[in-house]
Amino acid sequence: MRKKLIWFALLCSTVFGALLATTTTSHAAEKTYTIGTDITYAPFDFQGTDGKYTGIDIDLIKAIAKEENMKIDLKPVGFNAAVQAVEANQMDGVIAGMTITKERKQQFDFSDPYYYAGEVMAVAKGSKVKSFKDLRGKNVALKVGTQGAAYAKSIQKKYGFKITEFDQSNDMYNDVVTGNSVAAFEDYPVMAYGIQNGIKLKIVTKPAKGGNYGFAVKKGENPELLTKFNAGLKALKKNGQYDKIVAKYLGKSSVAKATATAKKQDNSLWGLVKQNTGALGGGLLQTLYLTVISIILATIFGVIIGLMQVVPAKWANWLSSTLIYIFRGMPLLVLALFIYIGVPNLTGNKISAFLAGIITLTLNEGAYTAAFVSGGIRAVDNGQMEAARSLGLPYGKAMRRVILPQGIKIMIPSFINQFIITLKDTSILSVIGILELTQTGKIIIARNLQGFKVWTIIAIMYIVIITLLTWLSKAVERRMNK
Amino acid sequence: MNAAENNNRVVVTDLVKNYGSNEVLKGLNLTVKNNEVVCMIGPSGSGKSTFLRCLNKLEDPTSGSVIVDGYDISDNKTNMNKVREGIGMVFQHFNLFPNLTVLENVMLAPIELKKADKEVATKEARALLDEVGLAEKADAYPASLSGGQEQRVAIARALAMHPDIMLFDEPTSALDPEMVGDVLDVMKKLAKQGMTMIVVTHEMGFAKEVADRVVFMADGHIMEEGDPQQLFDHPQNPRTQDFLRKVLNA
Ligand SMILES: Nc1ncnc2c1ncn2[C@@H]1O[C@H](COP(=O)(O)OP(=O)(O)O)[C@@H](O)[C@H]1O
Ligand SMILES: [Mg+2]
Repeated sequence: MRKKLIWFALLCSTVFGALLATTTTSHAAEKTYTIGTDITYAPFDFQGTDGKYTGIDIDLIKAIAKEENMKIDLKPVGFNAAVQAVEANQMDGVIAGMTITKERKQQFDFSDPYYYAGEVMAVAKGSKVKSFKDLRGKNVALKVGTQGAAYAKSIQKKYGFKITEFDQSNDMYNDVVTGNSVAAFEDYPVMAYGIQNGIKLKIVTKPAKGGNYGFAVKKGENPELLTKFNAGLKALKKNGQYDKIVAKYLGKSSVAKATATAKKQDNSLWGLVKQNTGALGGGLLQTLYLTVISIILATIFGVIIGLMQVVPAKWANWLSSTLIYIFRGMPLLVLALFIYIGVPNLTGNKISAFLAGIITLTLNEGAYTAAFVSGGIRAVDNGQMEAARSLGLPYGKAMRRVILPQGIKIMIPSFINQFIITLKDTSILSVIGILELTQTGKIIIARNLQGFKVWTIIAIMYIVIITLLTWLSKAVERRMNK
Repeated sequence: MNAAENNNRVVVTDLVKNYGSNEVLKGLNLTVKNNEVVCMIGPSGSGKSTFLRCLNKLEDPTSGSVIVDGYDISDNKTNMNKVREGIGMVFQHFNLFPNLTVLENVMLAPIELKKADKEVATKEARALLDEVGLAEKADAYPASLSGGQEQRVAIARALAMHPDIMLFDEPTSALDPEMVGDVLDVMKKLAKQGMTMIVVTHEMGFAKEVADRVVFMADGHIMEEGDPQQLFDHPQNPRTQDFLRKVLNA
């Protein structure tokens, strides 16, 4: 019995050892800088119709790298994930339309400013609101954590308006278009680009109270990277390349072009599917990978921990209870961020977002699995174990041949349920920048601003795979019950 | 066969069993000889099941000594799996394994414990099922059997390990009356073949006919024991008299 438990423990540690081992990265002789970018912040960082990331930030950092002979590896993971990855030493720098502020300077060293972005107020096309004074008693839409939101809040008392906050720019715009709110606050270039691309809003104020965008590294780290960025930026400004890049996204000529392409686009549901087949397919594949690998690992982990819950060994019961308590109790979102951001801080080893995602799901779904595995075993009548033991069968054999086959039958519906939950939970991993289906949706919407239709497509895709997964599980269940 | 020297299969000395502060067995002494059939009777809650379960260590005795087949099972170093191979147990609720067929139920232990290869084990299992009158049910699942049939399979399953001792805990209490006879017949046959048996039962007729000795338990004590004639016809202890009056007039 002792031996079996040690074997369990070994298996546990092997699984995790193997997972962790793949996380260590070797440093090549010539340093390649890993740089995180936003993905839903047009015109600075966004995905073009060809599926490649583009924007002022992207073009600028690429031009600077060329100018300075640096090797860079761009990681489009989203603003929050990028910022946290730099804090955790997972990445070397971040360029993501990031405003230089006092608070941020506590954590980061910033380059020279590369763009000044003032805040503007935008209202619906036919709106009569022309200035802040017209806002009294009305509702204003803001995006959480932005400079625009900070600016609006600083003048809220004076002009007496109400505030609703959104996570996504697109949701904020739509709130104004539909009339729930009368105005939105946003960085000028972002707003201007959005309007060019078909958002039915107009800008009614001059850029004000803006901030400077800077390239950031973790405080005290990578000073040479900052020096190179500054030198490169200076050179680009001198030789005119900087102006060219900005004009490409905001200049008059590009306005016409962008509007023209926006008009040509087929924004029907089917048209959107056709335009985004590649991105949606990629997202779907990633979601399926995450789901399948996590289901397998979580099942192994869960069954081991579940068994440890019922074996007659106090320390194993205790360990199992503790693991279930921690990983079932922790919100998936927090666990994902903790593993992706926190573990590298503790161990000094980088870890890919995909791996962090797999570990997160394995631990969380595994804890739930463990709970119903031990429940299923306990649901088998005590007399079964007694009868098996009274024949002289050792505990392990009795468990394997008598108790588990009966317990598993009880557990099957819970397993199927857990598989479906795992699939759905992969969507939460978009917070650490994994390009699964949900994240893919956010990115497409950031470009085409067709929130309702894109989410409809994504929802249908989830329903289809959940239906397939359910069928598959039910087929397996039927075979096992034969 | 280790007990052969003095012919004692079971020697229980000063056996005490507590559940928390509740003393259920209060110092029992009992010796069972080879080939002997002992029936235990007594009111419900008197500790009969607990006593039986202490003999194969489904319950840990609190104190006292229990020697079965020459093994001291109150000693923690004793390999209980080994000892249990020599002790067959039959439960009130049969406890057949519902995930296995009747034949597989009987063959499970011999094969898992490598007592026989599959062919031999199958042959023996079929012979045992024939013995209890259920040869044609070999491939059925327990769920499709009647209670009486289930209990006879349970007896065959216990016999498959060639035990030296058989323990029965109210084997017919959960059965419809018309099934009781078949099970008792199997047990009588076993007794005739010389199996050492300890049977907790409320079947006084069976006890009278088959038992070499009857033990009356009440309140965690053995109140009285003796051969069936003596105990049933001339009970000495007032508790025994009271119990028999109630049971026999029921
Ligand atoms: N697992 C247990 N935990 C606590 N008390 C128990 C347990 N098993 C039996 N008992 C108690 O021990 C006493 C004797 O029970 P038992 O041996 O089943 O009696 P009998 O078989 O003679 O009816 C009863 O009072 C019962 O409540
Ligand atoms: Mg009882």
